[in-house]
Amino acid sequence: MMSRLAGLRAGDPLRARLFMLLALWLVAIVVMSLLSPYFLRASTVPYLLQYVPILGLLGLGQTLVILGGGPGIDLSVGSIVSLVGVAVGGLFVLGVDIWLASALGLMLGALLGFVNGVLVNVLRIPSLMATLATMFAFGGLALATTLGSPIGGLPAEFGWLGQGRTLGLPNAFLFVLLPVAVILHVMITRTTIGRHIVACGNDDRAAHLSGLPVVRIRVGLYVLSGVLAALGSIIAMSWFLAARPDAGKGMELLAVTIAVLGGTHIFGGTGGVPGTIIAILIVTTLQIGLQLANISAAWQLGLIGVLLIVSVSRLSLWRRVKGARA
Amino acid sequence: MASVADTRPALRFVSPTASRELALIAAIILVCTVFTVASPYFLSVNNLVQTMRAGLELSIVSAGMTLVIIMGGIDVSVGGIVAVSAIVIGKAYQAGLPVYVVTPLGLMAGTALGAFNGFVTTKLKVPPIIATLGSMYIFSAIMFLVIGGAWISGLPGTLSPLVNGWLGFLPASALVIAVVYAIAWVLLRKLPYGNHLYAIGCSEPSARLVGINVDRTKILTYAFLGLLAGLAALLYVARMRNVEINIGTTIALEAIAATILGGTSIRGGVGSLLGTLLGVVFIRIMQNGLVLMGISSLWETVIIGSLLICVLTADALRNRNNPRAQ
Repeated sequence: MMSRLAGLRAGDPLRARLFMLLALWLVAIVVMSLLSPYFLRASTVPYLLQYVPILGLLGLGQTLVILGGGPGIDLSVGSIVSLVGVAVGGLFVLGVDIWLASALGLMLGALLGFVNGVLVNVLRIPSLMATLATMFAFGGLALATTLGSPIGGLPAEFGWLGQGRTLGLPNAFLFVLLPVAVILHVMITRTTIGRHIVACGNDDRAAHLSGLPVVRIRVGLYVLSGVLAALGSIIAMSWFLAARPDAGKGMELLAVTIAVLGGTHIFGGTGGVPGTIIAILIVTTLQIGLQLANISAAWQLGLIGVLLIVSVSRLSLWRRVKGARA
Repeated sequence: MASVADTRPALRFVSPTASRELALIAAIILVCTVFTVASPYFLSVNNLVQTMRAGLELSIVSAGMTLVIIMGGIDVSVGGIVAVSAIVIGKAYQAGLPVYVVTPLGLMAGTALGAFNGFVTTKLKVPPIIATLGSMYIFSAIMFLVIGGAWISGLPGTLSPLVNGWLGFLPASALVIAVVYAIAWVLLRKLPYGNHLYAIGCSEPSARLVGINVDRTKILTYAFLGLLAGLAALLYVARMRNVEINIGTTIALEAIAATILGGTSIRGGVGSLLGTLLGVVFIRIMQNGLVLMGISSLWETVIIGSLLICVLTADALRNRNNPRAQ
C-alpha cells in the first residue's frame, strides 16, 4: 500500500504540497493586507517572527512524532510547555540561576517526552489516548502546584532570548528556531537516522524486519518533541519574564494543525520540515493579520479548524485519486 | 468481548468488561469509605443527590461517547456541541419561543453538529480525532462569535424539574439518566445497529465486506452523540439558567476518561454502557470527595489524568500477549 520508489518519488507529493502552501500563504498575505492597512509594512516582519518560534518548535516536534508513524501524535506538548515553565519558575524562586534552571527544564522536557514515548511505544497504548492522559496529568500538575497563579519576577537579562533582537530579527527566531529547523531538515533528508524515521512511518513492520529499532526510534522522537516543547516554554518565559501555569493551553491543537497542514501525513511516512515551516508562517500570518485588522479572535479559531479539516481531507482525496491506497 | 479473549483459553468466570465493572464497583466503594471517614458531609442524601445532578450532563454525553468509541471513533468536539446547542437554546428562549419549540430546536442543533462530524470523518475521510479537533475549533468560534464575552442569563427554568425535581423518593435526574442509558442499551445490545457498531470497531474492512453500511452507521452514531449533547445542553440551561463562555470545556475529556475507565477499548470493538456509568460515578465522586476534603479542585485533572494512565497501562499489560490488541 505504501510502496514507493524510494526517495525519488517520495519527494514529489511533498514538493506539490510546498507549492500549494506557498500559494496559500500568498493568498493569506494579500487578504490580510486588504483587511488591514497596517499589515503590509516592514515593521510587521519582526513582529510576526516574534510569534513564530514557540509555535514553530512545537510544530516541528509534532511533525517528527507524526512522521515516525504508529500512528503517532503528541497531544501533551502544550501541557509540557506549561509544566516546564512552572518548574523552571519554581527553581528560580528557590534560588537556582535562571539559565541553569532552564537547562534543567530542558531535561524535564526530555523526561516528560520519554514518559509519552514509553506509554505509546513500549506499552503500546494508542498515542492519542496516552498523550491525552498525560496532557491532563502534566497540565493539571502545572496548575495545581501553582494554584493557578503565574510566577513572575524573572531577571531582565533573561529576556535576551525572548525579547532581544539581533539585526532586527528576534533572537529566539535567529538563534533557536532557525538552527533547529535546519538541523532537523538535514537530519530527516540527509542522514541515515532520518531515513529510518521515514521508514518507520511508512511501514513499521518492514522497518522492523530490516532490523531497525522501531520502538527506540519512536521513543526518541517523543523525547525530541518534549525537548522542543521545553525549549518553546523557555522562550515564552523569556518573552513575558513570567511562567504562566496555563502558558501552553491550546498549543497542542495548533501544533497538530501546523504539522498536518504542512503536508505531514497523519499516519506517518510522508512529511518534512519545509512544509511545517510554511504552515507556521500561514497560521501566524492569519493570527497577526486578524489581530491587526481588529477582527475577533474567534475567527482565528474557526479558520484554524477549517484549515485542519481541509488540509487532512484534501490529502486523503488526493491519495485516493492517485490510487495510493490499495 | 469474546473476540479479544480468543487467543487464550475461555476459562474466565466473568468477561473482561464485567471484571472491569466489578473492579470499578470495588473502587467506588473504597473511595466512598475513605471519604465517609474523612468528611461527615459526604454520606448525606443531600450531597449524593447534588453530586448526581452535577454529573447529569457528563453521564448523558458519556453514553453517546461509549457508542462512538466502541465504533472505533472518538469525538473531542462534544463540549463545543453542548456549547453551541446551549446558545441556540438560550437565544430561542430570549426570542420568546415556548419550551415545546425550544426543546426540539436544541436537540436538532446538537444532532446536526454531530452529523457534521460524522460527515467529515466518513465522506471527507478525515481521521475522527483530527476531524473533531477541527470541528471543536469551529464550534468554539461560533460560540465566541455569537455570545462574545457576555453571558446569556435570566433564562426560564421550565425544564428544571427534570434536574431538581423528585418523583416520590426518586430524584428526577436519576430517572433521566436511566432513560438515556436504557435507550442507548437497547440501541447497542438489542438492535442490529449495535452489532454493526461492535463489528465496525473490531474491523472496519470486514464490516464493509459483510455488507454493513459503515458510513451511514458512523454518521448515525455521531449524530446520536450530538443529540445527547443537545439534551445535555437543555438540562444545563435548565440547571444553570444561563449560558456562560466556558460551558462544556472539560466535558469531552471527562466523557472520554469515564468511557475508558469503564472498560471500553480505545481501539474499538469492546465496551459496555454499565462500565461507562460506573466510570462517571467514580469520577464525580472523586471530584466531590476531594472538594469536601478541602483539596483544591485544580488537582482533579491531575487525578483523572493519572488514573487514565494507570488504567491504560493496566490494559496494555493485560493484553500484551494478544496480537489483536497490538
